[in-house]
Amino acid sequence: MRAAWDKLRKRIGWEPESVMLDEPQLFLLLAVIIGLISGLAVVLFRIAIDWTRLSVFGSDLTPPPTRILLVPTVGGLIVAFLVINFFPRARGSGVNQTKAAVYIYDGFIPFNTVIGKFVCCALAIATGQSLGPEDPSLQMGAGIASALGRRLRLSREKVRLIAPVGAAAGLAAAFNAPISAVLFVIEEVIGKWTAGVLGAIVLAAVSSVVTVRWFLGEQPLFRIPEYHLVHPAELFAYGALGVIGGVSSLVLVKLIGYARPRLKALPRRSQYFQPAVAGLLIGVIGLGLPQVMGAGYEFIDQAMRDEFTWRMLALLAAFKILSTGISFVSGTPGGMFAPALFIGAMIGGAVGSIEHHFFPWLTGPIGTYALVGMGTLFAAFLRVPMTSVFMGLEVSGNYSIILPVIISNTIAYLISRHYQPTALFDLLSRQDGTDLPSMEERREEISVHVENAMRAYQGTVLNIEDPLSTALARADASAEDFVFVEDGTGQWRGIMKGELRRRATQSQEGATLRSLLSEEALPHLHPDHVLEEALMRLGDLPLLPVVNRADFRKLEGVATLAGILETYREVGPRRFKGKRHRHA
Amino acid sequence: MGYDIRSFERRLDRTEPDRRCGKCGQAIPWGEPECPLCSERPGYFWLQRRNTFLILVFVFIVLQFVITGYAVRRYHGVERGLAQGWYSRGEQALKSDHPGAALADFRNALAYSRDNPLYQLRLAQALAATGRVQEGRTYLLSLRDRQLGNGPVNLELARLPVREHDSPEAVQYFHDAVYSDWDGNPAVQRRAVRLELVDFLLHSDREAAARAELIAVANNLPPDAKLQTQVGELLMKAGGYDDALRLFRQALAVEPRSASALAGAGECYFQAGQYGQAKRYLDRALQLDPNLTPAAAIRDTARAVLDLDPFIPRLGEQERAQRAREAFDQAMTRLEACAAQRGIDFQAERGDRLQTLYAQATTFQPSVRQRSLGRDSELLTNTMDLVFEIEKAATQTCGEAKGLDLALVLIARQQEGARP
Repeated sequence: MRAAWDKLRKRIGWEPESVMLDEPQLFLLLAVIIGLISGLAVVLFRIAIDWTRLSVFGSDLTPPPTRILLVPTVGGLIVAFLVINFFPRARGSGVNQTKAAVYIYDGFIPFNTVIGKFVCCALAIATGQSLGPEDPSLQMGAGIASALGRRLRLSREKVRLIAPVGAAAGLAAAFNAPISAVLFVIEEVIGKWTAGVLGAIVLAAVSSVVTVRWFLGEQPLFRIPEYHLVHPAELFAYGALGVIGGVSSLVLVKLIGYARPRLKALPRRSQYFQPAVAGLLIGVIGLGLPQVMGAGYEFIDQAMRDEFTWRMLALLAAFKILSTGISFVSGTPGGMFAPALFIGAMIGGAVGSIEHHFFPWLTGPIGTYALVGMGTLFAAFLRVPMTSVFMGLEVSGNYSIILPVIISNTIAYLISRHYQPTALFDLLSRQDGTDLPSMEERREEISVHVENAMRAYQGTVLNIEDPLSTALARADASAEDFVFVEDGTGQWRGIMKGELRRRATQSQEGATLRSLLSEEALPHLHPDHVLEEALMRLGDLPLLPVVNRADFRKLEGVATLAGILETYREVGPRRFKGKRHRHA
Repeated sequence: MGYDIRSFERRLDRTEPDRRCGKCGQAIPWGEPECPLCSERPGYFWLQRRNTFLILVFVFIVLQFVITGYAVRRYHGVERGLAQGWYSRGEQALKSDHPGAALADFRNALAYSRDNPLYQLRLAQALAATGRVQEGRTYLLSLRDRQLGNGPVNLELARLPVREHDSPEAVQYFHDAVYSDWDGNPAVQRRAVRLELVDFLLHSDREAAARAELIAVANNLPPDAKLQTQVGELLMKAGGYDDALRLFRQALAVEPRSASALAGAGECYFQAGQYGQAKRYLDRALQLDPNLTPAAAIRDTARAVLDLDPFIPRLGEQERAQRAREAFDQAMTRLEACAAQRGIDFQAERGDRLQTLYAQATTFQPSVRQRSLGRDSELLTNTMDLVFEIEKAATQTCGEAKGLDLALVLIARQQEGARP
C-alpha cells in the first residue's frame, strides 16, 4: 500500500515535504486545529449529555419519583464499572490530571482518557450526578492536543506546552467564554504568563468558541440582566454576599477534604458501589429538589431571572453543596465548575432577594446578584481570583459590574484562604499522593532581592584616570581585596589588589589606571534585582557593584557569592517550612 | 486498553514509583508499557509523515463537522418537537382552566426552547392565573427588559394590575402596549388593546378617559359597520352620544340594514331629546330585529313622550289640553302610588314635600279641565309645571320613573332646557 501511495504521489507530482512548516509555525497551526477539534468534541459532549438525559429521565423537568431514584443509582453503577475496568484515568475533575500531564508526564495524556472522559462524564452528568461538563472538557481538550502533538512528533518541550493549549480550547468551548478559559489555564495550569504559549492558547480558545457558536448559536449560557448600581449602599450587600460565598465554599471544600480520603480508604470493591450510593442519595434529594441533579444550567438561568423565592434559592444552594460533595467524593468523574456556578448563583439570588425584600429602594436586579455570586464561589472554591473577576465581566458583557464583583470575590477569597490554606486542587493532588505545583503558592512566592544580600563596600573606589602610583597607594589603603574603578560615566571595572600591583610593575611610568584595565565593564546590579539574576551575573567574579538606578555612579553596596548563599540559607527554611511539613 | 484491578489499585495508592525512560530519563506515565515520546510505535505509514498527517487531520475535521452538524440538527429537531408538544399541552391545560398543569407544561416547553417569546408569555400568563402575580410580573418585566417594545408582553403586564385594580399602572402598560410592536396586523391588535383598556376604564367609572380612548379608536376605524357599531355602543356607555351617533351613521352608510346601528342611532337621538327621530330609527331597527329588547323599551318611551308632550308644536288646542289633562292624571296616580309605597299619609299634618305637592294638586285639580286648559295656555303651563314637580319629587323619593312617568320626566327635562 505504501508503494502504491508513493506511486500516486509521484504521478501527481506532490511532494509533501516541499511545504514543511517549522516547529513554531506548526505549533500555531496546531493550536487552531486543536481548537476546532476540541470545539467539535465539546459540542458532541453537550449533545450526548442532553440526549442521554432525555432518554433516561424523559422530557419532563420533574420526572417520576421512581426514575429520580433509579436512574442516578444505575448510572452510578455503570460509570463505576467503566471507570474501574476501562478508563481509570477518567476519574476526578480533569484539572489536576491535566496539570499532572504537564508537570510529570511531559504533556502525555493517552487518547483513551479522552474517550473515557467523554463517555463516563456524559453518563454521570446525564444520570443526575451533581457535576459539570467544563473540567472534563478541559481534560478532553488537553488529551486531544497531546495526541496530536505526539502524532506530529513535536519536540518534548512543545508536547509539554501543547496540553495547556488543548485545555484552554476545551474549557473555552464548554464555557463559551474564551477570556475566562485562557485566564483559568494560565492561573491554574501553567501558573505564569509565558509568551511562547500564550498566543497558541488564545488561538485555540477562540477557534473552539467559534466552533461551538457555529453549531449551538450565539446565545450565552445564562441570560444576564442589565446591571446598574442603584445606590452605593448596595455594595454592602455584595460584601455580605462575599462573606456567605466564602463560608459556603469552605463547607464544600471541607466536606470533600474530609470524606474523599476516607471513601478512598474503603475496601477496593466498594469503589464499584460508591457512585451508585451517591446517585441514590442525590436521587433522594432530587425527589424534593430535582434542580440539584446534573449540571443545572437551566436553573441558574431561572435564578438569574428571579424565578425562585429566596427560601428556595437558599435550599437549592445548601442541597447542591451536599449533592456535589457526595458526587465528587464517590469518585464519579465530572467537573466542579458548574456546581460552583450553581451554588454561587443560588446564594447570590438569595442575598439579592432578601435585600430586595427589606430595602427595595437600594436593590438592583436580582439576576446581577446571582451573577456576582457565581464569580464569588468561583474565586473562593476554585481559588482563581483573576479568572473569577474576568468571568463576571465576560459573561455579563458589562464592565460596570466590576466593582461589586471585586468586592464580593475578594472577601470570599480571603475568607476561603484564611480558613482553608490549601486550595482545592492542591488538596486533591496531595490526597492522590502527587505534589503538583500549587499555583496559588507560586503566585505568592516572595522573591529574594539583591538588597537582602548586599553589604556595604568597605574599600576604595578608584578613578580610571588616576595615575598608577596614586591608584596603587589608594588600593593598598583599601580594606577590600577587590577594588572598584569608576570611569566617570557610570561604567564600573574592578581588579584584585595583587593583580593591580603585578600589572603596575609591568607598565610604563606615568601611565594611568585605564591602560591596565580591560575595555569591558563589569556587570552591575541594582538593589531590586532578584538573587537568581545576581547569581547569573556574578559568574566567576568575587563581587559585583550594586548601583543606584537613578545614578549609576553611586555605589549602593556589593553582592558576593557568600552573601547570596547566606541569604538563601536564612530565607529558605522559613519559606519552605509549610511544604516540608506537608510532605511529612 | 484494559487495566487489571490490581494495577489500578497500585496507581490509586501510589505505592509504585514512577518508571523512568532509559533513553530520555523522563517518567513513563501510568499504564504505559514504554516511553510514549521515545518509542517508535508501529502504525500506518501515512501517520509517520507530518504533512500527510496534517492533511488527514483536516479531512477528519471536515468529516467531524459534517457528523456534528447532523447530530446537532437532529437534536435541535427533537428539542423543537418536545417544546411544541409541551406547549400544546400547556395551551390545552390553560383552556381547560388548569393553570397549575399549564405552568409545568410551559416550563418544560421553555426548557427546550428557552428564548421562545410565545412560550415565555404563556408561562407568565399561567403564573398570573395560578395567583403567582408577583412572579408573573417579575417574569414579564424581565421579558420587557429584553424586548422593550413587545406588545403582547406589555399587554400582559397591563392585565396584572387590572386584577389588582391598580388603575395608573394598568393604564400605563396599556398605553405601552398600544404603542409597541405587534406581529400580524398591528392596527387590529392595537385597536383590541385600546378596547380592552376602554372596558377597564368603564369598569373603573372613568368615562371621560374611556371616551378619549374611544375617539382615538373611532378616528382609525376601517369602513366596517360591525366595528363602527361596536365602538359606537361603547361610546354610548361612556356618554359620548354625539360621537356615537356619527359612528352609527357611518355604519349605516356602509350597511343601511344594520339593526344594531339603527338601534344605536335611535338611542343617541333619544338621549339628545330628538324623540321623533329616535322613534323612527328604533321602529326600523325593531322591524329588522324584533329581539332588540332594550331598543323596544326606548322606542316605547319615545313614543310615550311624543304622545304625552303638550308642548309639541303644531298641536291643536284640544289635543294640547287633553295631553295636559292626561299628564296631570298620570302624575296624581304616581304621587299616590309613591306615597303608599313610602307609607305617607296625605291626611296627616303637612311637612313632607309629597304632602305639600298633593295639597297643591288637590287644590289645583278642580281647575284642570279640558275646556279651561284649552282656553288658558297659562293654566296649561302651570298644570304641566305641577306635573313636572310631582314626577321629580316622586323620582327622588321612590326611584326611577318608568313608562309614562319616565316620559313625563323626560318632557320636564326637555322643557327645563328649552326655557331661558
